[in-house]
Amino acid sequence: MLQAGKKTLATFKHGPVTFLSLLYNIALIRSVIKWIIRMLTGTCQLQRILQKCESGTCTVKIEECLRRSKFQQLRRIVEVEPENLDAAVEQIMTIKQIVADTNPRFFTMLRTCLEQIHGYNKLFVEIEALRTEKYDCENEEHEKLLLKLWSLLQPDEPLTCRVSKQWGNIGFQGDDPKTDFRGMGILGLLNLVYFAEHYPEHAAKSLLHSMHPKYGYSYAIASINITSMSYELMCSGLLRSHFFNTVQGRPTTEHYHEAFCYLFYEFDKFWMKSEPENVMEFSRIRGEFMKTIQDLLAYLPTARLLMET
Amino acid sequence: MGLLSILRKLRSDHHKELRILLLGLDNAGKTTILKSLASEKIDQITPTQGFNVKCVNTPGFKLNVWDIGGQRRIRPYWRNYFENTDLLIYVIDSTDQKRFEETGVELRELLEDEKLSGVPLLIFANKQDLFNAAKASDIANLLKLHTLNGRTWQIQACSALKGEGVQDGIEWVMKTAGAKAKKK
Repeated sequence: MLQAGKKTLATFKHGPVTFLSLLYNIALIRSVIKWIIRMLTGTCQLQRILQKCESGTCTVKIEECLRRSKFQQLRRIVEVEPENLDAAVEQIMTIKQIVADTNPRFFTMLRTCLEQIHGYNKLFVEIEALRTEKYDCENEEHEKLLLKLWSLLQPDEPLTCRVSKQWGNIGFQGDDPKTDFRGMGILGLLNLVYFAEHYPEHAAKSLLHSMHPKYGYSYAIASINITSMSYELMCSGLLRSHFFNTVQGRPTTEHYHEAFCYLFYEFDKFWMKSEPENVMEFSRIRGEFMKTIQDLLAYLPTARLLMET
Repeated sequence: MGLLSILRKLRSDHHKELRILLLGLDNAGKTTILKSLASEKIDQITPTQGFNVKCVNTPGFKLNVWDIGGQRRIRPYWRNYFENTDLLIYVIDSTDQKRFEETGVELRELLEDEKLSGVPLLIFANKQDLFNAAKASDIANLLKLHTLNGRTWQIQACSALKGEGVQDGIEWVMKTAGAKAKKK
C-alpha cells in the first residue's frame, strides 16, 4: 500500500492536482471506476488511451497505466525491456482480452509506445554514461573535441597555445577549460560542439550576445549549465513527452543534442529579453527559464523542443 | 527584565541567523562545500555563473550561506555581497600551486575591505584527498596568515568531495559565532 502511495506521488508531480485526480489515484477507487467504465464502454484503459490521445501524450499515459497495473507481468514489461516486443504486445492483449481482429491498429500503436518507452530509458543510460565520463587531458579524443570547439566558434582566430587566456573569449573561466566541465563531464563538451557544428549561425549569434557589454555572460559556462538543465529534465522524466512527440522510434543521443540546442538557444533569447542588471542575475533567470520549460512540458501535450530552421 | 523578554531572548538565541560568505577562485570547490553542507548530491555540479544561496539549519544557528562564483570576471561583484557578513569562508584548491599567489592577492584584497573588517575568517584548504595537495600549514605560511591582526581566523584542511573536514570547519564557525554573540 505504501509502495502504491509513493508511486502515486511520483506520477502526481507531472500533472495538475485536482480533487478528482486525487480520488482517482487511490488504488481502490481507481479500479472500481476503471471497472465501471470498462463495463460501459467495453474497452480497457489502454484501448481508450490509444483511441483518444495524440502520439506523445499517449505514450506517457500508456507507460503510467502499465506501471500501475495490477498484473505483475504488465508492470515488468515497462520496467525491463522484453527481448521480443511483438510477443510482449501479444501478452498484453491476451491478459487484457483484446481481440486483434476488432482492434487492428492496437497492436502497432502499442508496439510503437513500448519502443518509445524503452528507447527513452536506454537513451537515459547513454546520457548518464557521457555525463559521468570526466574530461581527461590525456584522452586524445577529448582533446581533439575541445580544439574542434575552438575552431568552430573562432574560425578566424587560431588558438596560440592549448593552455591560453583565449579560452576566456568563448566563456570558459580560466586558461584551461578542462576544469569547467565538472559534473557534466564530456556531455557538456559534446553539446557545445554539436550546437556549433549543426547550427553555426545560431551559435555565432548567441556567442555575440554573450559578449554584449551590458548583458554579456560566459558562453561556455552558461552552456554547461544548460546541459545540466537538460539532464535534470531527463531525470525528472519531463523530457519524455518531447521525445515521444518528435521521434517515432527510439530516440538517440543526436535527438538529445537537438533538444539541448533548443534549450540553449532559447535560454540565450530569454536572457537577452530579461535585460539583466548583470551576470549575477544568472541563477534567478535560469530559474525562471527552467520553470517556463517545465510548465511547457508538463501542460502542453504537443510540446516539442525543436530548433526553428 | 520581564519574564517575557527573557523568554524572547532565549528564543532568539536559538534561532540566530548567520550570514556566511563563501569565496575563493574558480574551481576551488565552493559549490561542492555548499552542497555538502546542505546534504545535497555533489556529482552534478557546474561552474557557478552568478551565485547560489542556501539556508542550512544547524543546532542553534540558521546559516545563510552565499556561494559566489569565483571566475575572474565575476570577482568585481563580490563586494556587493559584503554587507552584514558575519563570517567569511575562503576556499583554496590545495593542488592548484600555480595560482597560490593569485588566491593570496584576492584574499588580501578582501581582508582590506572596510565592510569585512573584524569579520572572522575560516580558510578551507580543500582537495586534501588528492596526492599533490599542499598541507594546510604550508598554505597558512604562504598566505602569511600569522600576520593578520585583530581578526579571528582558522585554517581547516578538508576534502569536500569525501566530506572530510568540512564539518570540523563548520563547528569552528558556530563556536566563533557563539563567542561573538556572547561578547555583544
